[in-house]
Amino acid sequence: MKLFNFKTKYDADNSGHFGIYGGRYAPEMLIPALEQLEREYVAIKKDPAFEKEFFYYLKTYVGRPSPLYFAQNLTKKLGGAKIYMKNEGLNHTGAHKINHCLGQALLAKRMKKKRLIAETGAGQHGVAAATVAARFGFDCTVYMGEEDIKRQRPNVFWMQRLGAKVIPVMEGSRTLKDAVNAALKDWITNVKDSHYLLGSTLGPHPFPSLNRDFQQIVGYEVRNQLQELEGKLPDMLIACVSGGSNALGLFYRFLEDESVRMIGVEAGGEGVSKKGRHASRFAGGTLGVVQGYKTIFLQDKEGNIAQTHSISAGLDYPGIGPQFAYLKDVGRVEFSSATDKEALRAFNLTVKCEGILPALESSHAIAEVIKQAPKLSKDTIIVVNISGRADKDIFIVAEALGDKEWDKFIKEKSK
Amino acid sequence: MKLMTHVVVGYPTIASTIQIVKAMEQAGADYVELQIPFSDPIADGPTIMKACDIALKNGITVRDCLKVMKTLSNKVSIPLFFMGYYNTVFHFGVDAFCKQAKAAGAYGLIIPDMPPDEEEHEHFIKACRTHHLAQIRVITPASSNERMKLNAQVADEFVYCVSHYGVTGSNADFKKSLKPYIARVKKYFNLPIALGFGISKPSHIRAIKDIVDIAIVGSAIIKIIDKYKNPKTRIREIKKFIQDILI
Repeated sequence: MKLFNFKTKYDADNSGHFGIYGGRYAPEMLIPALEQLEREYVAIKKDPAFEKEFFYYLKTYVGRPSPLYFAQNLTKKLGGAKIYMKNEGLNHTGAHKINHCLGQALLAKRMKKKRLIAETGAGQHGVAAATVAARFGFDCTVYMGEEDIKRQRPNVFWMQRLGAKVIPVMEGSRTLKDAVNAALKDWITNVKDSHYLLGSTLGPHPFPSLNRDFQQIVGYEVRNQLQELEGKLPDMLIACVSGGSNALGLFYRFLEDESVRMIGVEAGGEGVSKKGRHASRFAGGTLGVVQGYKTIFLQDKEGNIAQTHSISAGLDYPGIGPQFAYLKDVGRVEFSSATDKEALRAFNLTVKCEGILPALESSHAIAEVIKQAPKLSKDTIIVVNISGRADKDIFIVAEALGDKEWDKFIKEKSK
Repeated sequence: MKLMTHVVVGYPTIASTIQIVKAMEQAGADYVELQIPFSDPIADGPTIMKACDIALKNGITVRDCLKVMKTLSNKVSIPLFFMGYYNTVFHFGVDAFCKQAKAAGAYGLIIPDMPPDEEEHEHFIKACRTHHLAQIRVITPASSNERMKLNAQVADEFVYCVSHYGVTGSNADFKKSLKPYIARVKKYFNLPIALGFGISKPSHIRAIKDIVDIAIVGSAIIKIIDKYKNPKTRIREIKKFIQDILI
């Protein structure tokens, strides 16, 4: 086996704890389903046939391996480290989310579940969930905050075309964390025949480990591709982090290569000094237990979840995946943040220099590349995860850039 | 059959919470749950969730809840429980919360997202023991026999059985499968059986009264609070509801 037998010293213990983080703080109703999922997870890790099937669909359906692209122009412009882009945006459905959706759909099939429930922020996980539901014959319900529906309308349209029921979530901040709550409640109600296709490396055990294991394909490929291109390991890995699925996907296979620096980039929103206007958990977050797991959350002193903000719906979430909280504590992964403005600048630069349209989430990672590359020598290598492409962001980007022609087009269209 | 009713502290105001709980006792409630409002109550349906939201918007804090408990425990003689989510307790400090809850007169705690499996990390059940707070465990139709056994080892007073697959306030069917479920619970718990989630009218009580010992009513009373804005009418309607349901 190539993927699922891989382990590191940074993995969870048998009850899903990464140091003090993680665990399974779920209401009793969900614990049997989580136990069943854990049993299946343990079983597939030893099942070469499952891995073979996973690889088969990754290749023929998702279109893997995704390219590792040398960003020559950006490298030249920044004048330091060689920059490689792992382009997950070229996957079927346009982002890395399809990796764990495919894995979980195959698992749900094993568990004989008939229906998939998913939450979504940017809509990339929702589209990927609706896609695997269509392909493997599941009913599918996707919860999405009303605020995010406004921000990412194209993805709602495609989810519906794929046959999913998209339910707007009107509670709380009407964003990703409220969609997770709504999805958990649906699961509580329909746990007998439904699988909760949770969309990141967060939530109660085994979700953080399960999704990481499905996403590790990203780093697994990068390792081989870079070996072929450069004959060595990267010096630095950079990825944006909300729950952590794309970042852990890139980092995981390198965790024990101590020479490889890793930086997770959080959403700095309007600036991390502005309370409630960013989603940077390591700027003011504290330890808490919410949505079934223990980690660093942005919350008030009473333990109520705080408001968050980011230009990218996919990073607009108050908790960080528990393995990342642990990796930060032990000093293995560094964290920084990029503001909305920095992300937009990085977006523009990448579009113009490389002809690649990175999702606004991924643009946060590129913003960090812009800060790091000039400080590093020309023989060092940075790999940045372009976790998704920007098609879904057309409305936000057009508005942020004040594109008058687009505005006129939208107004005419609406008549 | 006994009755446990429920309020969200500070919904709609602290003064009304105090009046409502007093009225509940007068109308015949045997226990009352005082829910500490929380931003992300994952076991609650829309009715209680909205009440939590409004209470939080009114600025209700854990210290306010402790004060309400203190006031009420001096005014009523029935046992009062704190119901809440683990993050609230965790943030306050597990031992400090249990100590102060006891000092305020709480009889016990109902924290549905703190499973015994995490006790080794949290020492929550231990803190309940230290401060003599009853530890109410929540069991569901989905619970395996192993889960029942595990929860029974640490349960006090009564076992809180969730009536059906769903969140608080969702429609329940008390005819099918309730008997075998409760029979299974009785195999593991040597405690009175309380049943909640979706109990909202006298016919529900009639359907369950020979099967369980305590009925739990939450969302149905919040709905009365929502419906009647005049404080006097509200109290009258709550009392009438409880008396009707107990006949």
